[in-house]
Amino acid sequence: MIDCPFCGAENIPGIDDCEECGQPLSHVQNTAPENEIERSLIKDRVSALSPKQPCVVSPTATVGEVLHEMATNRIGCVMIVDDGKPVGIFSERDALMKLNTEAASFGDRPISEFMTANPETLEDSAKIAFAVQRMDLGGYRHLPIVSKDDQLQGIISVRSILNYLTERMPTSG
Amino acid sequence: MAVDVHLTLDSDTVERVATSEPLCVDVGATVRETLHAMKEKRRGAVLVCEGEKLAGIFTERDALKLMEPGADLDLAVGQIMTGNPETIADSETVGEAITKMSRGGYRRLPMVDPDGRPKGFVTVSSILHYLVGHFPSVVYNLPPNPHHSTQNREGA
Repeated sequence: MIDCPFCGAENIPGIDDCEECGQPLSHVQNTAPENEIERSLIKDRVSALSPKQPCVVSPTATVGEVLHEMATNRIGCVMIVDDGKPVGIFSERDALMKLNTEAASFGDRPISEFMTANPETLEDSAKIAFAVQRMDLGGYRHLPIVSKDDQLQGIISVRSILNYLTERMPTSG
Repeated sequence: MAVDVHLTLDSDTVERVATSEPLCVDVGATVRETLHAMKEKRRGAVLVCEGEKLAGIFTERDALKLMEPGADLDLAVGQIMTGNPETIADSETVGEAITKMSRGGYRRLPMVDPDGRPKGFVTVSSILHYLVGHFPSVVYNLPPNPHHSTQNREGA
């Protein structure tokens, strides 16, 4: 059987479109999962990675407040949220690249001037394969998870993906 | 045929996943110089060296603490680096790197040669990229969006 990567329904091999949701399955036919890991990746949803509750601030929070919060609580990134929707992300990398040695002089400016706006997000019902793809191709370390109506649900890290994968492959470690 | 991931994790050495040419600074370099170098080279971590030997590591996480008002950017990086960091030898396997990283909660490990000279970094992202190489079709052949607009079949 072929699991539809869109809705998860099982389909008969060779079928053109998913019986359940009507999405084309042609690309899936050629790439049927060959082992347990591949099967898990296109079956499990990102909610199975238990997205963590991120540190959330408003777009008007100051750079000084955000940096203090990150440094004190050893937080790698904060989500900038407006009306429940993720409008930006600000990470240690942003701090290093955009503030650097000038950080103190930007202390009173709003974080919205330095955040990465409109970050890529993933719906909580998406399959883990999509999260792996986004993380690997985009080089992201964090991926915000949203509900259907774009409300922030949590955040997953590249480490949680690595843990998920290594739990599914036997290692000598 | 699917590659046996288990087998390669226990036989491939970390050299296959490590980034090359790590950014190195001398223990005597100031924090200011170090932060500027990290920005210019776009690196999230630097290896702090004494001569040719690895003495410590300084990361963007450490940098955050120095962005608060009143921080002394003229301190030597050797005074605030994490000394004697956990390293991985270039002859060790990818599986061993994963074990070390998850055990210590590290996001990156400096890779050193038998003489203790830094050769690169092994990061969580570089390991993920290596793993994805074992099952490229299920990851890279995905459609651009997890949910297309047509959630219901027409006429259904």
